[in-house]
Amino acid sequence: QTKAPDDPAPAGAGVPSQGGIQGQNIFDVKPEVKPDASSDPDYMKQNNAQRNRVQPGNNAPMWRGVAGGIEGYSSLPRSQAPEAGVLIQGPVQYPGSRLTTAGEAWRQVRNNWIIPYGGALFLIVLGALALLFLARGPIGHSDTEAGGARIERFTAFERSAHWANAIAFVILAVSGLVMAFGKFFMLPVLGLTLYGWLTYLLKNLHNFAGPVFAVSLVIIIVAFVRDNLPQRGDLKWLLKMGGTLSKNGQELPSHRFNAGEKVVFWLGTFLFGIIAVGSGLVMDHLIPGVVYDRQTMQVTHMVHSIAAVLMMSVLALHIYLGTVGVRGAYRAMRNGYVGDEWAREHHAYWYEDIQAGRVPAQRSRPAGGAPEDIKNVRPA
Amino acid sequence: MARMKFVCDSERCIECNSCVTACKNEHEVPWGVNRRRVVTLNDGVPGERSISVACMHCSDAPCMAVCPVNCFYRTDEGVVLHDKDVCIGCGYCSYACPFGAPQFPASGTFGVRGKMDKCTFCAGGPEANGSQAEFEKYGRNRLAEGKLPACAEMCSTKALLGGDGDVVADIFRNRVITRGKGAEAWGWGTAYGSKQAGQPPGGKS
Amino acid sequence: MLLTKKNGSINAAGRSPFVHSLQRGLSQALPTMDRRGFLRRSGLGVGVGIAASSLALVKKAQAVEGRAPAIGQGKIEVKRTVCTHCSVGCAIDAVVENGVWVRQEPVFDSPLNLGAHCAKGAAIREHGHGEFRLRYPMKLVNGKYQRISWDQAYDEIAAKMLELRKASGPDSVYWIGSSKHSNEQSYLMRKFVSLWGSNNCDHQARICHSTTVAGVANTWGYGAMTNSYNDMQNSKCALYIGSNAAEAHPVSMLHMLHAKERGTKMIVCDPRFTRTAAKADHYIRFRSGTDIPVLFGILYHIFKNGWEDKKYINDRVYGMDEVKADVMAKWTPDKVFEASGVPEEQIYKAAEMMAKNRPSTIVWCMGQTQHSIGNAMVRASCILQLALGNVGVSGGGANIFRGHDNVQGATDIGPNPDSLPGYYGIPEGSWRHFAKVWGVDYDWIKGRFASPAMMSKPGITVSRWIDGVLEKNELIDQDPNLRAVVYWGHAPNSQSRGLEMKRAMDKLDLLVVIDPYPSATAAMAAMPGKPEDLNPNRAVYLLPAATQFETSGSVTASNRSIQWREKVIEPLWESRSDQMIMHQLAEKLGFGKELSKNFKMQKVKGMDEPMPEEILREVNRSVWTIGYTGQSPERLKAHMRNMGAFDVKTLKAKGNVKDAQTGYDLTGDYFGLPWPCFGTPELKHPGSPNLYDTSKHVMDGGGNFRANFGVERNGKNLLAEDGSASLGADIQTGYPEFDHVLLKKLGWWDELTDAEKAAAEGKNWKTDSSGGIIRVAMKNHGCHVFGNAKARAVVWNFPDGVPQHREPIYSTRPDLVAKYPTHDDKKAFWRLPTLYKTLQQKNLTDKVHEKFPLILSSGRLTEYEGGGDETRSNPWLAELQQEAFVEINPKAAAERGIRNGDRVWLMTPTGARLNVQALVTERVGPDTCWMPFHFAGRWQGTDMLPYYPSGAAPVVRGEAVNTATTYGYDSVTMMQETKTTICNVEKVTA
Ligand SMILES: Nc1nc2c(c(=O)[nH]1)N[C@H]1C(S)=C(S)[C@@H](COP(=O)(O)OP(=O)(O)OC[C@H]3O[C@@H](n4cnc5c(=O)[nH]c(N)nc54)[C@H](O)[C@@H]3O)O[C@H]1N2
Ligand SMILES: Nc1nc2c(c(=O)[nH]1)N[C@H]1C(S)=C(S)[C@@H](COP(=O)(O)OP(=O)(O)OC[C@H]3O[C@@H](n4cnc5c(=O)[nH]c(N)nc54)[C@H](O)[C@@H]3O)O[C@H]1N2
Ligand code: HEM
Ligand code: HEM
Ligand code: SF4
Ligand code: SF4
Ligand code: SF4
Ligand code: SF4
Ligand code: SF4
Ligand SMILES: [Mo]
Repeated sequence: QTKAPDDPAPAGAGVPSQGGIQGQNIFDVKPEVKPDASSDPDYMKQNNAQRNRVQPGNNAPMWRGVAGGIEGYSSLPRSQAPEAGVLIQGPVQYPGSRLTTAGEAWRQVRNNWIIPYGGALFLIVLGALALLFLARGPIGHSDTEAGGARIERFTAFERSAHWANAIAFVILAVSGLVMAFGKFFMLPVLGLTLYGWLTYLLKNLHNFAGPVFAVSLVIIIVAFVRDNLPQRGDLKWLLKMGGTLSKNGQELPSHRFNAGEKVVFWLGTFLFGIIAVGSGLVMDHLIPGVVYDRQTMQVTHMVHSIAAVLMMSVLALHIYLGTVGVRGAYRAMRNGYVGDEWAREHHAYWYEDIQAGRVPAQRSRPAGGAPEDIKNVRPA
Repeated sequence: MARMKFVCDSERCIECNSCVTACKNEHEVPWGVNRRRVVTLNDGVPGERSISVACMHCSDAPCMAVCPVNCFYRTDEGVVLHDKDVCIGCGYCSYACPFGAPQFPASGTFGVRGKMDKCTFCAGGPEANGSQAEFEKYGRNRLAEGKLPACAEMCSTKALLGGDGDVVADIFRNRVITRGKGAEAWGWGTAYGSKQAGQPPGGKS
Repeated sequence: MLLTKKNGSINAAGRSPFVHSLQRGLSQALPTMDRRGFLRRSGLGVGVGIAASSLALVKKAQAVEGRAPAIGQGKIEVKRTVCTHCSVGCAIDAVVENGVWVRQEPVFDSPLNLGAHCAKGAAIREHGHGEFRLRYPMKLVNGKYQRISWDQAYDEIAAKMLELRKASGPDSVYWIGSSKHSNEQSYLMRKFVSLWGSNNCDHQARICHSTTVAGVANTWGYGAMTNSYNDMQNSKCALYIGSNAAEAHPVSMLHMLHAKERGTKMIVCDPRFTRTAAKADHYIRFRSGTDIPVLFGILYHIFKNGWEDKKYINDRVYGMDEVKADVMAKWTPDKVFEASGVPEEQIYKAAEMMAKNRPSTIVWCMGQTQHSIGNAMVRASCILQLALGNVGVSGGGANIFRGHDNVQGATDIGPNPDSLPGYYGIPEGSWRHFAKVWGVDYDWIKGRFASPAMMSKPGITVSRWIDGVLEKNELIDQDPNLRAVVYWGHAPNSQSRGLEMKRAMDKLDLLVVIDPYPSATAAMAAMPGKPEDLNPNRAVYLLPAATQFETSGSVTASNRSIQWREKVIEPLWESRSDQMIMHQLAEKLGFGKELSKNFKMQKVKGMDEPMPEEILREVNRSVWTIGYTGQSPERLKAHMRNMGAFDVKTLKAKGNVKDAQTGYDLTGDYFGLPWPCFGTPELKHPGSPNLYDTSKHVMDGGGNFRANFGVERNGKNLLAEDGSASLGADIQTGYPEFDHVLLKKLGWWDELTDAEKAAAEGKNWKTDSSGGIIRVAMKNHGCHVFGNAKARAVVWNFPDGVPQHREPIYSTRPDLVAKYPTHDDKKAFWRLPTLYKTLQQKNLTDKVHEKFPLILSSGRLTEYEGGGDETRSNPWLAELQQEAFVEINPKAAAERGIRNGDRVWLMTPTGARLNVQALVTERVGPDTCWMPFHFAGRWQGTDMLPYYPSGAAPVVRGEAVNTATTYGYDSVTMMQETKTTICNVEKVTA
């Protein structure tokens, strides 16, 4: 078989198999070729000028470069258009994509993996929580204030940090979800115009809520990190899932935060949270010194959305437990005080410590007599 | 049916930037937004070639696939357009586009970009053809006036051809035949799929 | 739901099935409120309806205050005009709605550009907004420009000028006209200066193609491009030497690349590997300033191999043997290599390509002209073409790419210091010819001059006006030094020796700038200089001129085709057209009546303005020499309306075409009646597409070399040999030019009418105001009025009859300076002492080449034009080139620790230091640096923004290379040596 003089790419030269730009002989016109030119052993090493000399008009070496994402000259200043010289994004293979132009690879990762499986994961989590609620109902028996004694579970500072964080998170999550998945469930209902406006609003909300979230996240991590360090009993608690799944099951004793909460803290809040915040700040163009070119944005985006989806999944559980999942938990975070009953039921060790005076029942200065206030607001 | 395409003949293009300013002029494109740009490879050394690039109106357009708000649409002529009223300025289309076509009027902190702008193949946008609103958002709608893209019409050397893919291909093919060389059509593989080229994937160049 | 048209070509694999089904399921299950489904494009079919009401479109260009009519209600007009940025002459259809220029469309019918443009032409509409233009007359008061009224400006300027005239005579004022003026304005400008009483006027051609014009005219008759861009399609081989057409004449490449695809070979010789070189089949890099070694190196191989056209040389060329002897002795391959650095095989290849692919053409531009030996370089090019028998042949010729849009026209009939319109020169006879045409008394004109002797003494050139100010009075060849300068459509940063220009500007009594974009001159004048240079009485005025889109008139493209521009819009703000300003200023200066007596006036903004058509008619009545007589306004306008009728390759009207509006029959005409278009318009000469072409009848644009240099020299016949006359000529041998005597001798006198006889008696064809001699010689007998002679390979009246290589005044090669020294100094040369040898020797003794070891050259970027004030004020262009830069080779850069993008200081022997960006590139060789010359607005590291008139600063500012360029002038024309000087570059630290 006499190979057409079409200058095949050298094996393994990193030329994408498909989707990459190719200089192509689209009309099956064979380029003028000196019969001997391609038998030159260095044929494939020729640069464009050398190739042009033996085969005028054959710009294959240049096209190969273009396909490889090389940068050419553009008179536009780099500061204004950093990628103007790149004709085609170079080929990459992101996890889950083929080796193809970076943009295409990113699209494959996002559209074929993150969106469907991330969406699926999140839906599954939501479904599981719903099932859990139906099957199990709220955990625990005692009301927050049950038992009389007033134990300060969260100081005003902790609560405000938490709620700022929580509100920002909800905004981020809702807006993020709409950005990522809205077009599948909201767009058809709302129509383009309305959906466009809404998403535009949410997108900007997301962009501005992000930094707020970032700051409050740091604060709550600092505030809660000590009591989330592993402690005696955590392992056992974890192995038995805290005993919470059995309907009448007694909760296993735990410190201020039980092992489940700690997992949520370390995984959801700390790990995914930091990653989402870090990547989010990059996507917001807030990190000085970074060149926000496309590849940076692609990688950041993938990291961000994966972290975000995982975080949302984990925190969905947290939110579930913090609202309808555990009786009284919400009020604890809202008002800051719990009663003996509640403390003993959910955090036995912690309660012990308080009783023993190892942990103060009132950590904040009793400024303004908070307990009395609560009494006034909510007569038992 | 006509399928609109661009071809830029690197054997002809001289980096004169007429295509760029023609576009700016016709559509009053603001400073910082370049619907079209010209790139020179091997700049200043033998083998130098220039190529003018804008949105290629891809068959399977990555921008369209990633847009969170689905504001892209494709006309019957294969032109990829978008709706600025819907666009949320997320930038995803620009991450996905292999050609760097999508442009943004701003690039500020907090991800502020403004509405995406890109080459419309001089076909305006979703507003009524020839309306003031269409012009202000998308520029002129030359196709509706029966004209071809301004950039291609004014190209100094006719390196840049834009129009019905078959016609463009014809012109280009003739040119290639007369000169017997330089048959590579810029970007067609990426933009229109390599089938177009009558080439097995992974072939040549 | 998705608006995506789903067709088979969509790659389904690109989307996950999960998403896909989700999408489909949801979008089908749920009703949508979307209205845009309706708006799906329906393509060209719908467009037709719109195209019918075609231009009833929107516009945004609400450029002018209070001129923003409601959308779509405007009156739409389409005005045909021509790009003002270079000599290609690309036509443009300007769409005007309610007086606002809202759009531009390509003119596909134009045979010159077929709708194509370069960046500048495609952005030309910005002139219709002109946000950064000068809006009102202004005056410099305490270092700031203040708005004044036109009346105040005129009164003060006229008073000052008359005062200077009284104190120092008319030669104390220097008038810098413009190649951007229309033919009518250029012509009026020369008339204006003549009536003022001086030859001290000039324009860009001096620093552009003056050496070409002088060299080429002295070789074969006319100083112009012989063929056309279009005709290059007929070439088999094209040699570009010193032209970067891809950037400077981009649309010319349309023709060349088309030809190339049909097999034409292309050679580029240039010190830089330019965008043009990138398209070449063969590229030769050589050291800047060594064009003669390269060209004669090529010629050496041609002679050696006997490739020259011996019959042609015998019949039509004088002095080739002398040249041959010189070439064979002096330009052997080793000498060529030594001087230019080009190895023999490269030169041989070029010679072979040119010789074996005939007709072959040569293209040159500034690379050859801007040297102290520019006149000799261009003649070397001519000689090469003569040796190959390529001149006067379609596909051959000397395709000299001219510069500004109307530099050809302004050279032909504009403000030249040594000539009246039409190269009539300035002896008494010419003055009498024009006195008659102008309808003024010869003696009155004479009285206007300082003395009769000054009337025929060529004026100072624009390249040297600064020396007219700065030079010691006893050394200059006119009574006063220059005390006033009028910049009337010319930038300051285009002339060399910027540091000295600043001093000269400060010393003036009066500086007037008449320009839509006077910004660089204005800023330079307002910028504080050395206090001791500043003339305390200096007055500076800026007057807003209208652009060519705000008036009408004709413009001559490089190929000598003349096109008529319609007025697109009324002058913006307070600007006025140049012809109006000339007329008004002349009235204030006391010769308005004489200036405009032949012209009908039209009202513009309520004021009188001489009608361009009327001025053109005066040109038609006077400029016989170069055939500007046949191009009546009516004929030109008919051509503009019927561009589609002309063939792209030949420029000839195809078939029988009649202008629908006037019934004028275009049959046989060449597009734009390329001059010479002899005789009266009624003679219907079709124009001359290719000069000296004997294969055509003279009434079909044919010709032969001009008999301008006598009939015999040293016993050798200067007239053409037998048998080499234009097709169908009654005289088949060489003959001298026609006058009343020759006509009578030939027995053709009686073919004149009685009226013609009366006018022709005692006259020659150039001064016969009836055009009768021309009619009889050409129409009746097929003979060329200017005779039939040989071209001159040896121009004995020039410093080097046979072109000689001489090193530039500032050279990096002392060894070659010793071998190829420059000329001797000149004492009174264009009224000024001019240095050659003493300066070159001094540089040698001072060893300046050691401190400045790099060659500095300069030239063009596509996006900008000339000094750049216009184009840098156009944001569409400015965005594309935002930094002044210097190209430097990686090797030279590495030696200096410079990396691409670094800020560097570029220093030259003048002491100037330019702060620019380094562009490290192999485009230039290790010994060469190159800068674009379009920048201004930064001065040795500081921004001049505070000195601009407010609101009239360009968008992009940068260092002007000419702030740093050095002394050096052509030995015939005073062209400045801007292509070759020396410099050094160092990295900016801290
Ligand atoms: N975009 C743009 N186009 C223009 C203009 C403009 O300002 N901008 N100006 C117009 C005008 S006024 C003119 S005159 C023309 C000029 O058009 P060109 O002359 O084509 O342009 P330049 O860039 O000045 O010079 C051409 C080349 O000369 C080379 N050169 C330098 N030194 C030498 C030498 O010693 N010998 C030779 N042979 N070559 C040398 C330079 O490297 C450069 O590439 O362009 C016209 N067109
Ligand atoms: N170092 C270096 N110097 C050079 C050159 C080089 O290559 N290197 N090239 C030289 C050459 S070839 C040339 S031609 C010159 C070009 O240099 P210039 O001709 O001096 O440069 P431009 O900026 O084109 O100047 C034209 C001026 O005319 C104004 N103008 C435009 N239209 C009109 C009009 O209708 N009326 C009036 N009144 N004014 C108008 C413009 O606003 C502008 O200010 O530079 C020369 N200088
Ligand atoms: C932890 C909570 C967060 C969640 C759950 C979240 C979620 C998301 C999601 C789902 C997307 C859309 C991805 C897609 O459509 O493919 C997204 C995009 C984005 N997020 Fe977040 N995000 C979070 C935090 C942040 C933070 C802290 C910042 C910034 C500091 C941020 C900035 C962004 C940006 C800039 C985008 C890109 C889209 C745009 O520019 O509008 N996010 N986020
Ligand atoms: C609407 C959203 C949220 C609700 C309803 C909610 C609710 C609660 C409640 C009730 C508690 C107290 C649990 C207890 O007493 O042990 C709590 C604790 C906590 N929440 Fe939230 N929360 C929300 C969002 C978040 C978010 C977005 C984060 C961080 C990313 C977060 C981080 C924490 C932390 C760190 C604690 C302390 C306990 C621990 O460390 O495990 N919460 N939350
Ligand atoms: S070139 Fe880019 S913007 Fe245009 S259709 Fe293709 S992916 Fe979309
Ligand atoms: S920037 Fe606009 S068009 Fe681009 S993906 Fe985002 S919403 Fe869609
Ligand atoms: S087709 Fe129209 S919109 Fe696209 S680059 Fe060309 S001129 Fe601009
Ligand atoms: S106008 Fe044509 S030649 Fe000029 S840069 Fe654009 S594509 Fe190239
Ligand atoms: S600058 Fe010259 S080539 Fe460019 S558009 Fe104008 S006339 Fe044509
Ligand atoms: Mo010029």
